Amino acid sequence: MTSRRDFLKVSGAAGAGLVLGLHLEAKPRPGAAAKAEFRPNAYLTVKPDGTVRITVPKTEMGQGVRTALPLAVAEEMDLDWSKIEVVNAQPGPEFKGMQTGGSTSVSSTWTPLRKAGATAREMLKAAAAAQWKVGADQCRTEKGFVVGPGGKKLGFGDLAEAAAKLPVPKDPALKKPADYHLLGKRTPRFDGPAIVTGKAIFGLDVRRPGQRFAAVLRCEVPGGQPKTWDDTRAKAVRGVKAVLKVPTGLAVIADNTWAAFKGREALALTTTWDEGPAKDFNSGALEEKMRAALTGPADEARREGDVDKALAAAAKVLEAEYAFPYQAHATVEPMNTVVQMQAEGAEMWTGSQSPNRAQERAAAALGLKPEQMKVNVALIGGGFGRRLGTDFSTEAAQVAKAAGGGPVQVVWDREDDFRHDLYQPATLHRMRAGLDTSGAISAWAHRIAGPAVLRSWMEGQKSPAQASVEANGALDIPYALPALRVDFAEVEAPPPLGWWRGIEIVPNVFARECFLDEVAHAQGKDPLQLRLDLMGDRGVVKFGREEADIRRLKKVLQVAAEKAGWGRKLPVGHGLGLACHAYDGRTYAAEVAEVSVEKGQLRIHKVTCAVDCGFAVNPAGLEAQVEGGIAFGLSALFSQITWEKGRTVQTGFHDFPVLRLADMPAIETHVVPSSEAPSGMGEPPVPLAIPAVLNAVFAAAGKRIRRLPLGLDSFK
Amino acid sequence: MPSYQLTVNGRVRPVDAEADTPLLWILRDTLGLTGTKFGCGQGVCGSCTVHLDGQAVKSCQRSLKEAAGHAVITVEGLSKDGSHPVQKAWIAEDVAQCGYCQPGMIMTAAALLKRNAHPTDGDIEEAFADHVCRCGTYPRIRKAVKRAAGSVK
Ligand code: FES
Ligand code: FES
Repeated sequence: MTSRRDFLKVSGAAGAGLVLGLHLEAKPRPGAAAKAEFRPNAYLTVKPDGTVRITVPKTEMGQGVRTALPLAVAEEMDLDWSKIEVVNAQPGPEFKGMQTGGSTSVSSTWTPLRKAGATAREMLKAAAAAQWKVGADQCRTEKGFVVGPGGKKLGFGDLAEAAAKLPVPKDPALKKPADYHLLGKRTPRFDGPAIVTGKAIFGLDVRRPGQRFAAVLRCEVPGGQPKTWDDTRAKAVRGVKAVLKVPTGLAVIADNTWAAFKGREALALTTTWDEGPAKDFNSGALEEKMRAALTGPADEARREGDVDKALAAAAKVLEAEYAFPYQAHATVEPMNTVVQMQAEGAEMWTGSQSPNRAQERAAAALGLKPEQMKVNVALIGGGFGRRLGTDFSTEAAQVAKAAGGGPVQVVWDREDDFRHDLYQPATLHRMRAGLDTSGAISAWAHRIAGPAVLRSWMEGQKSPAQASVEANGALDIPYALPALRVDFAEVEAPPPLGWWRGIEIVPNVFARECFLDEVAHAQGKDPLQLRLDLMGDRGVVKFGREEADIRRLKKVLQVAAEKAGWGRKLPVGHGLGLACHAYDGRTYAAEVAEVSVEKGQLRIHKVTCAVDCGFAVNPAGLEAQVEGGIAFGLSALFSQITWEKGRTVQTGFHDFPVLRLADMPAIETHVVPSSEAPSGMGEPPVPLAIPAVLNAVFAAAGKRIRRLPLGLDSFK
Repeated sequence: MPSYQLTVNGRVRPVDAEADTPLLWILRDTLGLTGTKFGCGQGVCGSCTVHLDGQAVKSCQRSLKEAAGHAVITVEGLSKDGSHPVQKAWIAEDVAQCGYCQPGMIMTAAALLKRNAHPTDGDIEEAFADHVCRCGTYPRIRKAVKRAAGSVK
C-alpha cells in the first residue's frame, strides 16, 4: 500500500528536510564582533548570552510541535528549558520539502533533532575540555553548562565561539531513555504564555508597515469567474483603494479589513457570473452516481482469496450501505496570507503546512524563482490539513502583484472559508460479509465509491496508488479473514478536495468498524470478543508496503475495554461501543464510548481511549491530541457540506455544527507504555470516535445508524 | 468624518472611522490589538470576545458607535503580565492547542468568574455556548475555569 505519507514526502530530502552534519560557520553577531554564535547545524544556534534558538521544521497548528520538537534537542543538549527560543524554519536550501501532515512531525524529526542536540553537546564539551586541558570524557553537560572535574562550570554561551571552530562529530551517541529528564515528562505548551496574553502572532495577526487589506470576491461556485461588474459603489466605500481583477475573482484593496469586506459586498451586487462547468453540481445527483458505482467496475486495493466464490458459498450474506458526507476543515482562523512585492522578488507571511510548496507555487504564479519568494511561517489557528493547500497563499501573491506597492493581507471571511475549502469528499460504502454454516466470517468485501482526494492533490492526475490511498483504513483491516476484497470506484465531482484530519481513514473505519459490529450481533457474539478472536495471535501483518503489529493493537483494545468497564451493567438507555485501528501501521488506538439515547436525544457521556504511539515524547501534548482528535471526530457525527447549484449550502458555524463545550464528553486517555520509536498522535484518535459512538447507540437503543450526519430522524 | 473616543484597556483612544465599523476591526486594524481574533464575524464562534463595561461581548457584533464611551478591555489588557487568575489557570491546565480561540475563551471565563465566583457545570456550559474551539480544548477549559473559581476579584 502506498500511503498518503509518501505523497507528503518530497523526494530526496528526509521528511524533515534536514541538513545534518553541515557545518555552518560561526557568525559574529552584528554589533558584538568579539563573540560569535555557535550554529553546528540548521536546527540550533547557541547565542553568546547562553540562549539557544531552536529552529522547528514543522508547522505549529495546535499539535504541539513547537514544544515536542525542541524537547528532543533540549534533552540531548541538556538545555535550560527556560532559556530557549523557538523559531519556525523558512523554506530554502536548509529546509527542503517541509510538510506538516500525516501525523509524522515527531516520527520524522525524532532522530535528526536528537542527533543535532547530541552533536552540539559533544562540541561544547570538547570546547570546555580544551579550555580546562582535560579529556572531554571528564566533562558532562547540565542545564546549559558544561561541568568539569572538581565541579568547574562554563556556560554554553561562553563556549559558543570556541565550539564553533571544532570539527563536527560524525555519530555522537544519543542518550538512553533512562537518562531522560525532559523527554517523556509532562511539559506544558511552549507558546502558552504568549497565547493567553494575546501576544501570539497568527497569520491573520501579521502587520507589516504600510500594510493594506484585501478581500476577494470569488464565484460561489468553485471555478466560476466574474463576467461583468461595476466598481463604482465599492470604490465609494470609505477606505477602499482599488478593485482589481485577479485569477480567482475580484480583489478589493482597502485600508482595513472591514472596508475591504464592505467594498466587496457592494461589488457583489453589481457582478454577474459565468459559473463554469460545475454550476449544476448537487449532492443528490452525486449520491445516485456513487450508488451506481457501488456495483460497477472498481480499482482493487487489496485482495486475499476468492471473495466472490466465498460469498456464493456462504450460508448467510450480510450486506449494508454506509454513507459519509462531504466535510469542511472549519479552522477557527480563516485562510489569510500577507505578501509584499519587492524590487527583486517577494516576501510572504503565511500559516502554511507545506511552506516549500507554498513558496514554489506562489513564485511560479508570479514568474519568480522559488528562492526569490521568501516565506515566513506564522502560527496557525487550526490546520487539520486545510493549510497543506496552497490556493490561499498563491492567491495572495497574485493579489499583491496586481495591487503593486507595499504589503497586502488577503483575508477570507467565514463564508469564503466554507465555500472555498479543499473538502473531504463524500463516500458510499457497500459492505458485505459471508458467514459459513458455523457462523464464522468466510468473506469480507468493502467497496468504496466517491471522489478521490489524491487526484486533487495530484492536480487532476490519477495516480497508480489512488485506490490504495482512498482505501486507507479499509484495506489495512487488522482482522484475519479468509477471503477479502477492498476496492475503490472513483466518481469524479467538481469540488476541490484536500487532506482532512484523519483523511479517508475516517469514513473507511466508520464503515468497517460499524459493519463488523453488525456481524458480531448477527453471530450473537460480543463485539469485543469477535475483534480479539479475529486478531488471534497474529503478529506483524503486511498490507502491501505497510505493516502493523497486531499484538500492539490487541493490547490497546484490551486496555480500553477494561478501563471502560466493558461488560458492566449499565443504566437503562445507556450503551457501550468500541472501535480500534492501527493508524498507518504506526499508532495503535482503541476507543470505547458510553452513550445514552433517551426520548430521541443522544448524549455522549464518555470516551475511553487507549493508545500506543511508541515512546511518548510529551504525555501532556499526547493527551491533548487525544481530546482534540475525539472532538474532531465527534463533530463529524453532526456536520456536513452539501451542494446545490454548484455551491455549498453551508456558510458558517451556524449551519455546520462543530462540537461545543456542553457536547464534549469526558475523555479518559490511557497510554500503553512503549519503547518503540515515537509515532504520530494528531489523527489516530479521530476515526474511532464515530464508530465507537454509533456502536454504542446500537447497544443503547437497538438502532443501527449507517448514514451521517445524524439528523432529527436518526433515532426514530 | 465621525470621530469617537474609545476607552481601551484604560487608555482613551480617539478613533476616526465609520460609526458602523465593528469594534473587532477597530481593535485589530486601527489600534493594532490583534489579540482579539476574527473567527466568523457572524456572532457564533466567540473568538472576538472582549469586555464592555465588564460584560463579555462579541466585538464583531458591536459597532464603534455602541462601544464608544464604554470601557473596553481586551486580552492584552486583562493583566500586565499574564498574571490574571484566569490566565494563570489556563497555563496551569495547559489548555491551548492552536491557541486561536483562546483569547475569546479567556475573556468569557474572566467575565463569568467575576459575576459568578463558583459557577456550576451548567453555568460554564451556558457561558461558553457561543464559543467554538475546533481543536477540542473543552475538557481543559472546564478545568481551568474551576481552578480559577473564587480568585477573580
Ligand atoms: S468573530 Fe465574533 S463571534 Fe465569531
Ligand atoms: S485551541 Fe485551536 S481553536 Fe481552540
